[in-house]
Amino acid sequence: MNNNDHNVKSNKEPRPPKACGWMAEFENEHDLLHAAEKVRDAGYTKTDAFTPFPVHGIDHALGIKPTILPFIVLCAGLTGLCTALLMQWWMNGVDYKYIISGKPFGITPASIPVSFELTILFSAFTSVLGMLALNGLPRFSNPVFTNAKFDRATNDRFFLYVDATDKYYNRESVKELLSSVHANSLDEVMEDSTPSELPRSILLGALLIVLAGLIPAAIVLNMRASFSDLPRWHVFFDMDFQPKKKPQQTTTIFKDGRTMRPQVPGTISRGQLDQQDPFYLGYDPMKVTSIDTEKQIYVSTVDSVANLSALGSVAQPPAGTPAAGAAPVLPFLEKLPIEANEENIKLGKAKYEIYCSACHGYSGYGDGLVSKRAASLAQDTWTPPSSLHLDRIQKQPVGQIFHTISKGQGKMASYASSITPKERWSIVLYVRALQRSRNANIDDVPVDQRGSLTDPVPSQTK
Amino acid sequence: MASITSSYNPREIDNTEDMPGRRAPLITGNQTYTSVTDMVCRVAEDPQPRLWWILFGMASLTASMFLMLIGFLIYKGVGIWGNSSPVFWAWPIVNFVFWVGIGHAGTLISAILFLFRQNWRTSINRAAEAMTIFAVICAGIYPGIHVGRAWLAFWLLPYPSLNLWMWPQFRSPLLWDVFAVGTYASTSLVFWYMGMIPDLATYRDRSKTPLRRFIYGLLCLGWTGSSRHWLVYEKAYTLLAALAAPLVLSVHTVVSFDFAVSQLPGWHTTIFPPYFVAGAIFSGFAMVVTLLVPMRAIYKLENLITLRHLDNMNKIILATGSLVGLAYGTEFFMAWYSQNQYESFTFINRAFGPYWWAYWIMVTCNVISPQLFWFKWMRTNVVAMWVVSIFVNIGMWFERFVITVTSLSRDFLPSSWGYYRPTLFDGLMFFGSFGVFMTLFLLFCRYLPTIAISEVKGVMSLSDHASHLEAEVLAELQGKEPKHVGHAH
Repeated sequence: MNNNDHNVKSNKEPRPPKACGWMAEFENEHDLLHAAEKVRDAGYTKTDAFTPFPVHGIDHALGIKPTILPFIVLCAGLTGLCTALLMQWWMNGVDYKYIISGKPFGITPASIPVSFELTILFSAFTSVLGMLALNGLPRFSNPVFTNAKFDRATNDRFFLYVDATDKYYNRESVKELLSSVHANSLDEVMEDSTPSELPRSILLGALLIVLAGLIPAAIVLNMRASFSDLPRWHVFFDMDFQPKKKPQQTTTIFKDGRTMRPQVPGTISRGQLDQQDPFYLGYDPMKVTSIDTEKQIYVSTVDSVANLSALGSVAQPPAGTPAAGAAPVLPFLEKLPIEANEENIKLGKAKYEIYCSACHGYSGYGDGLVSKRAASLAQDTWTPPSSLHLDRIQKQPVGQIFHTISKGQGKMASYASSITPKERWSIVLYVRALQRSRNANIDDVPVDQRGSLTDPVPSQTK
Repeated sequence: MASITSSYNPREIDNTEDMPGRRAPLITGNQTYTSVTDMVCRVAEDPQPRLWWILFGMASLTASMFLMLIGFLIYKGVGIWGNSSPVFWAWPIVNFVFWVGIGHAGTLISAILFLFRQNWRTSINRAAEAMTIFAVICAGIYPGIHVGRAWLAFWLLPYPSLNLWMWPQFRSPLLWDVFAVGTYASTSLVFWYMGMIPDLATYRDRSKTPLRRFIYGLLCLGWTGSSRHWLVYEKAYTLLAALAAPLVLSVHTVVSFDFAVSQLPGWHTTIFPPYFVAGAIFSGFAMVVTLLVPMRAIYKLENLITLRHLDNMNKIILATGSLVGLAYGTEFFMAWYSQNQYESFTFINRAFGPYWWAYWIMVTCNVISPQLFWFKWMRTNVVAMWVVSIFVNIGMWFERFVITVTSLSRDFLPSSWGYYRPTLFDGLMFFGSFGVFMTLFLLFCRYLPTIAISEVKGVMSLSDHASHLEAEVLAELQGKEPKHVGHAH
């Protein structure tokens, strides 16, 4: 601030300061307006008034032209609007498309708030910065500051100023004119003669501060651009280290020390409600539960049938079933849950021929093409598929056959993923029909139909 | 009426009369340009009263506590708050909306009242604008620390990120909020600063020490009071007012979109924008009254911030308070009229559910307490209006609490219902934000012009040659109580 101690410094200056113009002081705005009109009428244009508040009518009295600021602000506002629209169009419509509920990309009604705000933001800052630019502010060194009287221009005095650069300026005639307008006082404004360059110490200090401020940025840039074998330096840990337990680890939180928690008794998983239905299982899970302890109920109803089988072999001693070591017995359905009609038989036949016949053969004797081929290659590891006409299999309840299709048996894989439950039941129905037809005798044929039997079936007993 | 107020404070002159054909004076006490300058500058030039130091000590301690708590929060994580399923938007958002709402009064007074040529705004606009800035600062802190990883809060901004390779989602109201609050904070700041430039020049020119002169000289950018400058300045001020007026309405509209654009019953409603804006103006004016009533007493500014100013503000509080009450009623009506069972449940749950106490505190403070301002003796009694303004502040905080917490705690799925409980940290951090607010406001009183000196003088000048009625009325008022005249000299 060169103007701060102007009184002291101006005394030190050897050269006499140059005059910049005349300044008249007034008590109130009415006197000022009156004087300003006189000065304007005298033809002076390089004039100004200094007032503690905007005096209305002074622009007319001094002949000041309106400002172009509103047009600048309008342009800034339009720039802000276009910036916002382009930004949103580019960022969300082109460069990084967010797919949200199939809504359109780019400019949509949702772009309005941000566009509005940026229009205001650009306009508001342009208003302030434009005002400062048009007024030539900041300007810290000003001839009018050289007179201490002028301090009252921001308080309670009104000043009228005629600049020496005016083309009609004449020192004596301006003085005469201003003397005639009832001014409180009249002073000649002297130029600000204090040195205008910054002291070297301030420059040096500023330079040092800037350099010191660059050090952290330089360190960060260096780290970004170079490689290091050292572990990462965690300023913020973010999610790099998470206090958490993984499967199979131990914990002290629970009494049993396991981190993996069993499901709460009675839990039914979403989407697995069909697991409770005999139609999907081939056996009645409610009957399993009724003969077991509560803990095993939980295991049996939720876990896989493999668990159940193990459970069944312990909990339900096989009575009237094949010897130990054979498949454990579950409460399999004895009755088909689907109707034994022609449609289902046809469905079962079709699915049987697609999925089963390759091994079990079209008639169910275990002589499918795959089986024959494997046998001819004499593969030691090949376990031939069972004939469906074995006494053991004929005695199986329908539910068990369904269960075998669903879960597999021995070498046979599970077909649950390829064949729907209804199709599986249809296959069971077809298998039953096969068993019946292949093990029939003449008593099964209605009496009136027996005559139509011409050829005896080829001798192919089981 | 005059006797009621003057019995409270001998400096008070009742200029609240509204008589057709008589122009009530805006400022009292035979003021001249010199006395107005003196009265305002004295605030920053005289040694501060003991009360200032006590308040500043308390406020700065509270603010330091707030900053330390923010540090602890960043170190430990947002788990120290009570935010938990299903209420993840708890006090941080409540406090954010509360402070943003308060921050509406300043720019409203500066911009909208300026456009409506409400000359009485000149005595209060500066302090209200300052209050706006400080409230928005308090508001801005909360989303910043609520994001969890506060050091990544800059991800809110659309910047070309080399780590993420993506842009923000411009269809989200939360992003609109970033733009709205950011624009509002920066525009309010430049509006406030630009308004202060001539007054900072006054401070500069009255400075007794070189340091003071240097600092104020720097801040006022070398303002001279040139008429050519004033002309551009006034145009810029008008433009800013015209820009800030829709801006101030947009900010709380966008804040309300944070809620209204969601699907939650109690939030998903079209009346939110006007309802929020009315509430914001309501709470903002209440906070202005809360601050200005003690300020004018401490700094003896009763002749500049007169009863008429307070009376006018109380009228606005009454109007906006009634609007808010109407909005509460409309919400209930819509809940019934829509025949939407979730909507109906939400509102019955608000009034009679587990948060009934919060709802009825809100109704008592926001709807009932401002109705007292129908009585003129309430509007012109400084103690009474201060108490009501505190009630309104409390009520408006509870309004945001009720909206945020009741809707979240019980949504569509009863199995996910919960009851939100704040922790000690929630309470201390909300209290701490008042420390920041008051520290900044007290520093503002001490170092910056609390009243727009040049604007008050402009209004004095206008009334001077527009009408002599005002002076006559003033003389008459003062003639009744001659002992009150001219204390400021």
